[in-house]
Amino acid sequence: MGEPAVEAQGIVHRYGERRALDGFSLEVPEGCVFGLLGPNGSGKSTFITMVAAAEQPAEGQLRIFGEPPSAGLRGRIATVFQENAQDPLLTVGETLRLAGRLFGMSGAAAAERGRRLLGTFGLAERERDSIGALSGGMRRRLEMTRALLHDPELLLLDEPTTGVDPEERRALWDALLNAERGRRRTVLLATNDLAEADGVCEQVAFIKDGRVVATGTPAELKAGLRHESVRVGWPGVTPAQLAEVAAWPGAGEVTVADDVVHIATDDAAALVPRLFATAPGAIRSVTIDRSTLEDAYFQHVSRRGAVPEAAR
Amino acid sequence: MNAALALFERDIKGVLRSRSQLYSSIMTPLLLLVFLGNGVSSGLEPSRLSAGNFTAYLVAGAVVMTAVFSSTFSSASYYRDRDSGLLRMLLSSPHSTRTILLGKSLAGVVIGVVQALVVLLVAAPFVDFEWQYGIAAGIALALAAVLLLNVLLAGIAQALASRIQTMQGFHLLMNLALFPLLFFSGAFFPVDGLPAWLEVLARVNPLSYAVDALQLAAYADGTVGYFGLAVDFAVLTVVAIAVYAAGLARMPRLTWSGK
Repeated sequence: MGEPAVEAQGIVHRYGERRALDGFSLEVPEGCVFGLLGPNGSGKSTFITMVAAAEQPAEGQLRIFGEPPSAGLRGRIATVFQENAQDPLLTVGETLRLAGRLFGMSGAAAAERGRRLLGTFGLAERERDSIGALSGGMRRRLEMTRALLHDPELLLLDEPTTGVDPEERRALWDALLNAERGRRRTVLLATNDLAEADGVCEQVAFIKDGRVVATGTPAELKAGLRHESVRVGWPGVTPAQLAEVAAWPGAGEVTVADDVVHIATDDAAALVPRLFATAPGAIRSVTIDRSTLEDAYFQHVSRRGAVPEAAR
Repeated sequence: MNAALALFERDIKGVLRSRSQLYSSIMTPLLLLVFLGNGVSSGLEPSRLSAGNFTAYLVAGAVVMTAVFSSTFSSASYYRDRDSGLLRMLLSSPHSTRTILLGKSLAGVVIGVVQALVVLLVAAPFVDFEWQYGIAAGIALALAAVLLLNVLLAGIAQALASRIQTMQGFHLLMNLALFPLLFFSGAFFPVDGLPAWLEVLARVNPLSYAVDALQLAAYADGTVGYFGLAVDFAVLTVVAIAVYAAGLARMPRLTWSGK
């Protein structure tokens, strides 16, 4: 891979007094599907919007395709925002022709490519329908169609599947991956859906409080974890009990949220019997999984209660 | 009952916190009383209207009023674009915000011009117009006046839209700003011979010059008592450019969502 498609160094962006980005640094390699993962308000959307606007930040440096941001660069970028960007008074076809012309295409070229993409996204029969007649999932697919229309080099996806049911979500990703076949486009995806990111992203960055706290491939981020993840339904668990579990050999990070204790471990088979011995009758359920990107996420970003090192 | 009271409280708070809505709802009728009351009391004697024909006199005012309403409604598309999310897509395109606002204003101007001219042309056969410069030249002059007027109104609308957060507030402020301008512009009664303070306001009111140009183009049989076409077009051009520039001085940015 050559020069990064997007390079951010020490970016600070404020909304009033609040720092939405606070020393944000990141490199997104060209041709990579890159995920930005973080809780709501962590700065993912702010960064996506800044790249979409191709705007130089007040503090820090942003480079896109190796160049300083400029309005002209926006022609090489497309953005699917969290909310649809569609005029309800237009039809599907008119929406695509408008978008194509705004991004330098002729009306005819936009209509022709639009028809092809509508077919890919399962909307071929909807070209003459008004936007208001589409379901929520269809409107998200139309957003993808609109974004891919001018064949951008950088595709920014800001939580593109939020509010979409699982079936539509699958259809949307299938269509997008189908449209992307043979095309090595850089995709920057902001999402809260860790399984989605694990499935489609080649690299991810965890964002917290306006900063990147970890970055790597999903495999790299998972590699630093214990092999297994034990979730224990344990109502009424006390801090002393959590500290005791955290001190056991083979136990990694221990966190608790909503009466569910999450224990990273290398040896679940040894750990689980000890749990039942420690709290007889108190444990309602035990689930053992292989460690996932979600576990890595919680290790780096979690806002859940964690057992402090000092208590171990 | 508790639910109804809770909703009542919430809506009252909404109105009290929307200061533009609160003030303009009260100010608009008061201004109407002051301007329309004074104007009608002293300006509507038939002897003060050329040919004593009030219907023909009103046409210029109706054309200007059409432009005012049209520009207000067209400019509200800014809010539609913002609320539908389309504004974000427009701002992420490779064009400058100025180009985007220009395209949107152009639509408002064209719609306003067409609607205003339709009113003029539909009314013309039914009233006694003098067309003192000839019908073709008169229509061309009216077109030019209406065009400049709509650019001016688009500028006012853009300047307000970029500063007012809600569409309701925008409409109310447009009404607050434009209704008084409309009433002491000569649209509904002659402005000469009004109380001195109203005559001064009429002279600094840019809409007066659009009404004046329209009356000279279609209705008047001379130029005595009018500002004159040269003054009308000079004032309209300068004010339209200035207001439009002010409208572009504060433009939406993607990084603050255009809100």
